[in-house]
Amino acid sequence: MEESVAVWALSADEADDGAFIRSHIQACPSCHELADRLDRAVKAIPLAVDDVAPPARLRGRIVAAAALPRPTTAPDRTRGRRRTAETYKRRFEWRVLERIPAYAAAAAVVLALVIGGVAGDLAGHRSAAPIPSQVARFTLTGEGALAGATAKVIDLKTDRFGLVDFRGLPALPPGKVYELWLITSSGRADPAAVFVPDGNGTKVVIVNHPLGGYVTMAVTTEQGPDGSNIPSRLPQMSGSLA
Amino acid sequence: MSDTDLGAELVAGNQDALAELYDRYGRLAYAVALRILGDPGRAEDVVQDAFLKLWNNANQFDIERGSLRTWLITAVRNRSIDTMRGRGAHERQERELKPELRATGPTSDPWREVSLSLERAAVREAMDSLPREQRQAVELAYFGGFSQREIADMTAVPLSTVKGRMRIALEKLSSYLTGRGLIDVPTRTDGGIGSGLGPERRRGR
Repeated sequence: MEESVAVWALSADEADDGAFIRSHIQACPSCHELADRLDRAVKAIPLAVDDVAPPARLRGRIVAAAALPRPTTAPDRTRGRRRTAETYKRRFEWRVLERIPAYAAAAAVVLALVIGGVAGDLAGHRSAAPIPSQVARFTLTGEGALAGATAKVIDLKTDRFGLVDFRGLPALPPGKVYELWLITSSGRADPAAVFVPDGNGTKVVIVNHPLGGYVTMAVTTEQGPDGSNIPSRLPQMSGSLA
Repeated sequence: MSDTDLGAELVAGNQDALAELYDRYGRLAYAVALRILGDPGRAEDVVQDAFLKLWNNANQFDIERGSLRTWLITAVRNRSIDTMRGRGAHERQERELKPELRATGPTSDPWREVSLSLERAAVREAMDSLPREQRQAVELAYFGGFSQREIADMTAVPLSTVKGRMRIALEKLSSYLTGRGLIDVPTRTDGGIGSGLGPERRRGR
């Protein structure tokens, strides 16, 4: 059960299991204590990420949006006091009056941001947002028998591994597997993973290898179950890692 | 101004407090969203959404119990994963949490900066100290939003192995950070799980 608590703390449990684990945690003192402890560790995980400066406009967007009225009411500081209908009326009128400048200011800021955004788009400045140094994304496209297949490659640079999310892969002939290759600029193909797609043609493959230093990722069909050391045919899917 | 004071200002509707909160944690929030999504535009939207949710629900936030930073970053993480997987917020189940990392710290900005910097360095060190497969299991769950079964499938190991790796990794992290005074040792009086208003737990696969 302790291991299920760890999975639960990471929100990695399956939907069906969550309710059971939660109820157990609430009833079992030792699991409750464990969940407390592990939950605190989970909350620390994002602190391992290096800071990235957001676009300067984001602060303005947030501040402008906050200038609009809150959808929920503020805490009632007059709780416990007796209030008459007249009091409510006066408070309402006063709130409307005091918010007029805020509405006007918010409208002006939002308008300025919209105009700035449109102008930025027209000038092509929107694409100037910082590209993350920690994560890079690429796409693989299929051809021939794999013409309908695509894959998204996520290069987790700092973690020195990658994820490849395949879609639309055809079912394999018996005894065959798909093999993923990393290809250098000199044309050397290093085997990266062997996999068989799910029934719906999808698969997420982990590449336990840094993608840096490779220029292309490719997929071929090879003999199962272990694949091959060198590609036996031309790539059926490929994409640039540059 | 401490996070607790900042929280009180947010509850009071002080917009400058929201700007201060953004200046304090905007870079971290954006970095987490970017790490998960890998897309600057979507990361921007997620961060804005999280800050505004905190702002709009500030009067429900228990500043004595929860950490603003934790609440915010958890919201960013959950929204990022939902965005990545094309899910809506309605698919998430709210879960109440309790304070995690210290909610209050040194009140002066230089000390707060130093404290945060040391804290983050320790967390990085703790993560780096994990064996690769344990770290991978935790990161795939936290940053990828993958379930235990998905991770077992991806890493081609039994489900029990994934669960074991997660537990050992979190135990090590907890022990490492507790040993450095960065995580409070839970007590029976702090409410524990289920008390106080905190960030929602991601749910809905």
